[in-house]
Amino acid sequence: MDAVERENAARQKKWAKDQKIGEGAYAVVYRGREVSTGRQVAIKKIKVGQFKDGLDMSAIREVKYLRELKHQNVIELLDVFSSKTNLNLVLEFLETDLELVIKDRSLVFLPADIKAWIAMTFRGLEFCHRNWILHRDLKPNNLLIAADGQLKLADFGLARDFADPGYKMTCQVITSTAVDIWSVGCIFAELMLRTPYLPGESDMDQLKTTFRALGTPTEEDWPGHTKLPDYVPLEQFQRTPLRDLFTAASAECLNLLAKCLIYDPKRRISAKEALNHPYFFDLPYPSHPSKLPKPAKKETMPLDDMDGNVEMTGSGPGVRAKAPNNKLKRKLSTDEGGPRSIARRLDFTKS
Amino acid sequence: MSNRSGWLRGTTVRKGGASSSSNNTRHTTPQVQSTSTTIFGGGVKDPSGRTSEYFSMEDQCPVCKSDRYLNPKLRLLVGSCYHKMCESCIDRLFTLGPAPCPICGKTLRKLAFAPQTFEDLGVEKEVAVRRRVAKDFNKRRDDFVDLRSYNDYLEEVEDITFNLINDIDVPEIEARIARYKVENAALIELNVQREEQYVQQLKYQEELDRSEKEQRAEDLRRLEEEEREEREKGRQEIIDKLETSDKDAAKLVARSRAEALKRASARSTATSNTFMSSNTFMSNSRLLRSRAAQSTIVRDIPHVPLQDNWYAYDDKFVLGNRYNDPISEAVRRDSQGIMRAGGYYVEEAWERALRSSVAGLDTLPLSGIRAVDTITPTEDADIVMAPA
Repeated sequence: MDAVERENAARQKKWAKDQKIGEGAYAVVYRGREVSTGRQVAIKKIKVGQFKDGLDMSAIREVKYLRELKHQNVIELLDVFSSKTNLNLVLEFLETDLELVIKDRSLVFLPADIKAWIAMTFRGLEFCHRNWILHRDLKPNNLLIAADGQLKLADFGLARDFADPGYKMTCQVITSTAVDIWSVGCIFAELMLRTPYLPGESDMDQLKTTFRALGTPTEEDWPGHTKLPDYVPLEQFQRTPLRDLFTAASAECLNLLAKCLIYDPKRRISAKEALNHPYFFDLPYPSHPSKLPKPAKKETMPLDDMDGNVEMTGSGPGVRAKAPNNKLKRKLSTDEGGPRSIARRLDFTKS
Repeated sequence: MSNRSGWLRGTTVRKGGASSSSNNTRHTTPQVQSTSTTIFGGGVKDPSGRTSEYFSMEDQCPVCKSDRYLNPKLRLLVGSCYHKMCESCIDRLFTLGPAPCPICGKTLRKLAFAPQTFEDLGVEKEVAVRRRVAKDFNKRRDDFVDLRSYNDYLEEVEDITFNLINDIDVPEIEARIARYKVENAALIELNVQREEQYVQQLKYQEELDRSEKEQRAEDLRRLEEEEREEREKGRQEIIDKLETSDKDAAKLVARSRAEALKRASARSTATSNTFMSSNTFMSNSRLLRSRAAQSTIVRDIPHVPLQDNWYAYDDKFVLGNRYNDPISEAVRRDSQGIMRAGGYYVEEAWERALRSSVAGLDTLPLSGIRAVDTITPTEDADIVMAPA
C-alpha cells in the first residue's frame, strides 16, 4: 500500500455513510456523519464509468473550486476521498434551499427577509468573484439554507475561473462577473414575485421573454452586442417600467434590481457595489437569519442541488457562445417526478 | 273619551284595545307597543321602541274603580310611590299641582307618572331604584387599589339599594347618596364619559357590520341583475339573428347559447377569484402579524456589507493604465468592442496577476507548513489551500 492509498483510507474512515437521500444524473447523495464528532454531513458519491473520458467535468470543477473557497455563504467542502472506483465529496449538510422556500405558499416573506437573502447571496458571490471564480449557475435551488438560516451558494459544477492573465481570451466564453449578477437580479425578482421571473423554454424563447420585459437592447444600451457571434436580430419590444410589475417594492429596491438587470455587462453593478447599495442600509434592517421563514420539515431531503444538474444532452458548459441571460434558464428540480412523467403516460395511451 | 290630551310626554299606540273590548273574558295580556319616545319609570326612554307596556284585561283603577269593561281605553300609570291609577284620575287629581296620593298619601306630581313595564310593581320599583343608584355609583374595578376595597364598595351600594327598595331609613340613605355624590363628582363624571365612549364604539361597530352586510347584499343583487340582463340580451340577439340572417336557425341558436354560456362562466370565475383573493389576503395578514410578533425576540441588525476580514493587498500595488501584455493584445485591439460587449476586462486579468504576485510577500519562507498539515482552516482565512 503506498502513501496515497494509506492517506485515502485514513480519510475514508473519518466519515460514516448513512441512508441515501437523493440521486441525480451523475451523483448519489447520502446522509452521513463525521465519526469523531457525530456532525451531520452530506456525502456525494460521483458515479464514475459512464463518462468516456473518466470523471465528469462538473465533479472536477466542483472539487477544484470548493476546495479553495471557505466563506459563511458558500457551501463547505469538508473532504474528498475515493472508494473503489468512486469519488466521494463530503459536503456541509444543509436543510433546505431557496426554491422550496419560494414554492411553499404557506410562507409569507417580509421585505426584510428578501433583503437578508439577497444580501447573503451577494456576500457569497462577492467572495467567489474576489477569488476569481464565476458561479455561472445561480438559481434558487442552488442557494441552500442552513439550519441557522444562513444562505450558501452551492453547486459549482458550472463554475469557472476568470481573468486568468495567462489565458488568451475570446468572446466565445463567458468571462464576466456580470453573468452572476444578472442571475441574482432574477432571483431577487423571483423572491418578490414568488414565481420565476423571465421564464424561458429555449434559448430563443428566453431572449424573447427577456426583451419583452426589459425592452430589446439598442446599440446604446449595450455597445457592441450586435457584433457578437451568433447575434440574431429580434423583434423590437418596448421596456415596461419595473414599477408596473413590482408595485409594492421600495424605490431603492427597484433601483438595485434595475442595476442588476442592465444589458451592458460593463455597466451592470458588481457584487461589491451591490452590497454597498443604499437598499441594504435602509429600514427595515435585513431579517436576522434565524428568523427567516423555512418550509415545514419533510422526511425526504430535497437534494436536487446535489445532482450537479448536468444536462446529459446539453453541450458542455462554456463551450458554446451564450448570451449572459442564458444563465437564468431554470431547470425545474421537480420535473423528475411531476409533469414529465405525466407526459410520458400520455404517450403510452396514444401508442 | 280618549285621554291623549298631550299631558303625557310620550304617545302610546294601543293596538287591539278597541277590538278586544267585546271579548273581555280573555285572560291573555295583550302586548302594547310603546314608541321610542315613551318615558318609563325612572325617566327611561327605550330608543328601540321594543319595550312593551304592561297591560292586562283585569285592569281596574283603584281610585275610581273603572275597569276595562267600562272603559276599553283604560290606561293605568304608576306614580313615584308605586301605586297605579287611571289617566282620567291623574288628570282630575293633579292638574292643579302636586297632591297627595289617594292610596298612601305621599305627595305626587303629574309628570312623575309613567307607564308600567313589569307586572309586579315590586320589580318595577327595584329596577327604577337600581337604575338611579347605578347612575351615581358608577365606579369600576380599575378605580380601586385592590379587589377587597372594590368588594366593600359593591356591598355598600347593595346596602343602599336594599334600603331604598324597602323604604328603610330613606332620609339617612338619601343624605349618604348626596354626600357620596359631592365627594366623587369628578370620578362619576369621568365614568359617565367612559360609558358614553363605550356605547359610541359599540354603535360604530354595529354600523360597520350593518353597512358591510348591506354591501354584500347589494353586490349579490347587482350580480343577479346583470345575469338577468345578459339572458335577456342573449334572447333578443337570437331573435334578431333569426330575423336578419338566412342561415340555419338551429345552428344560430346553438351558437348564441354557447357564447352566452362562455360569458357566464367567465363572470362566475371572476367573482370567485375576488372572493378567493380577499380570503388569502386575510390569512396572509394574519401570518404577517405573527411574524411581526416574533421579531421582538431576536433583534435585526443593520446591514454590514462584508462580514469577513478581507484583505485585497490593495495597498501593495497600483494598477497601471497599460502593460506590455502580448496575450491580451488582441482584446485591446478589439476595435469593434466585441470583447467588451461580452464583458471581458483586460484590467481584471492584470489586477489578478498583480494581486497574486504580491499575495505571498508577507509570508516567511517555510512558515506555516506544519499548520497546513494539522490544523483545519480557520474562520477568517479567506483563501484556503488544500492540504497537501
